[in-house]
Amino acid sequence: MDMTGLNMLAGWTTVGDTIMIEQMPILGGYTGGVEETAICDVATTLGSFACFSGNFHLDGPIHIRWGTTMARGTLQVAAHAAAAIDANTDLLLANQYYPIAGPCTEMCLLETAAQAITDTASGRELLSGSAAAKGVVQDKTTGMEARIMGNAALATCGMKISDVNDVLNKLIPMYEAHYTDAPAGKTFQECYDVKTVKPTQEYLEVYDKAVATLRDIGLDIKH
Amino acid sequence: MTQMTAKRYVDIYEAYDRFYEGERVREDQWDYSIVPTNAALMKEKYDISFGPDIIPTDEDLCERLFLAGVDMLLTTGFYNTDLGRVLHITEEELFEGLKMAPKKLSLGSGKDRVKCKARRGNARRKPVIQGGPTGAPVSEDIFVPMIKSYAQEPVVDTIVSGVLNTVNNHPATTNTPWEIRATMAEIRYVREACLMSQRPGMCI
Repeated sequence: MDMTGLNMLAGWTTVGDTIMIEQMPILGGYTGGVEETAICDVATTLGSFACFSGNFHLDGPIHIRWGTTMARGTLQVAAHAAAAIDANTDLLLANQYYPIAGPCTEMCLLETAAQAITDTASGRELLSGSAAAKGVVQDKTTGMEARIMGNAALATCGMKISDVNDVLNKLIPMYEAHYTDAPAGKTFQECYDVKTVKPTQEYLEVYDKAVATLRDIGLDIKH
Repeated sequence: MTQMTAKRYVDIYEAYDRFYEGERVREDQWDYSIVPTNAALMKEKYDISFGPDIIPTDEDLCERLFLAGVDMLLTTGFYNTDLGRVLHITEEELFEGLKMAPKKLSLGSGKDRVKCKARRGNARRKPVIQGGPTGAPVSEDIFVPMIKSYAQEPVVDTIVSGVLNTVNNHPATTNTPWEIRATMAEIRYVREACLMSQRPGMCI
């Protein structure tokens, strides 16, 4: 926390705004491995409500090497922290999305689906995304990534946790081997007709392929 | 006798006072020693070890992880990077503060309003889907259509914005008036995109 954050919170809480507090624990940073990072994630999440008057908390465990929230370890941190807090409180928990691959690639959609499945099954209340291409490349995000995030979440609701883990154990290896050669993808202008805001046929076909892949591994996802 | 009842929850003003009067610690001590040491101690004390599962299936592990997080917060506190001081709260204040947190929120207005309500485990009720660039950089000339690409998705309930690279072709440099101008422009553009998608009341 810094004084800018405290001063902004003073203004917002005084006028009764809804306060979302964001925090992204770094797996492999000061907090070390998955367990230590999850412990710090639980601590800081609770603190955002108890010390800084948050109304809901936006998490985002991120991998120090790959800069993604969808790595196996960061998904495990997010899921364990959410499940631990969910079992003991009614706090409103959210998570944010940073896939490595860019838009109009199956890898980007599968990464996004993996986190949506994880967040939904571990009891989170809000999914916020998705910043494709690690959220650092200009114009490399589109509504199609949010479509897969939402539809994967819908398909996951109510599934048995053992079945969810089975799906994730098949899904994560499909993309984690490609961190060093992840497809850069296309810009919004290349993925959509900018005037009509309709996705290109190419992206629709990539989306269909990702949905077929998710169905093949046991997720009953609808279009 | 140990005091068990908190006087009240800690608000922002109380948090500032506690930072101001808190123990002085160097940032490198906090980052390299205090946080990693305490996290490792909590891992050992509460026997926290994850198996291969992404979603935990061991209820006892979840309980111990929650207790470890509580202990971590109470033992370590929060660090203020500007003041170089640490805030501490008591266990009673922590749980009093958690009681202040809402169990549900109403997001947006009119027909576009959605409820964000506590789920339990993998409930059948879907989470709120917030679509948007999530802080990624977006060009000024395509900002509205890009946000519209999210607002027009039926599965999307609320919008999270991106970051305008420029405003009126001028770089939106941090800590300058241009940053404020860009922020205000972002809000206008997001509202326009929601309106164009016939969802003017979407929460942004």
